[in-house]
Amino acid sequence: MALTSIFGGSSAPSGKPAASSPADIKAQLKTQIAQELAVANATELVNKVTENCFEKCLNAPYANSQDNCVDQCLAKYMRSWNAISKAYIARIQQASVNGEI
Amino acid sequence: MSSISQNDLSNLDDGSKREIMTFLESENSKQKVQMSIHQFTNLCFKNCISNVQNADLSSQEEQCLNSCVNRFLDTNIRIVKGLQSIQ
Repeated sequence: MALTSIFGGSSAPSGKPAASSPADIKAQLKTQIAQELAVANATELVNKVTENCFEKCLNAPYANSQDNCVDQCLAKYMRSWNAISKAYIARIQQASVNGEI
Repeated sequence: MSSISQNDLSNLDDGSKREIMTFLESENSKQKVQMSIHQFTNLCFKNCISNVQNADLSSQEEQCLNSCVNRFLDTNIRIVKGLQSIQ
């Protein structure tokens, strides 16, 4: 799963006029659901990266910000996210091939 | 974006309702996978990444992340089996 998917990178035309036909309502419903999930995922990511990079980069009494460290940490967290995602999905696929799930 | 009214929803035909249900089910399972990845990354980053001097993952770190996910899942499976055997 590509990382961009959590930001709802695909089909999300926003600001549509009020839906009327069933096809419009259906499309709007799907867009709305996908957008809300994308927001939930982005929020989760921001919270987790902040927590982890705060722990790694900053120390009491927090006199200085550590912008450089935080930037590096963010990049490293995203790379970790991708590595974990690859490992997890490989495991799911393997279990699926073996008929375990 | 204007939200969809209750009325709009009840006017959907059965085919559309079914399509939306299928869409929801697939989004729901994708979302479960996403939330697991958030959880694993949070856990394994804490345990495998000791410094952030370098933004790139070392091969050791990458191996650790990989093993972390797999051992977590092994543990999860073992716990489920253990609970099943005592019930």
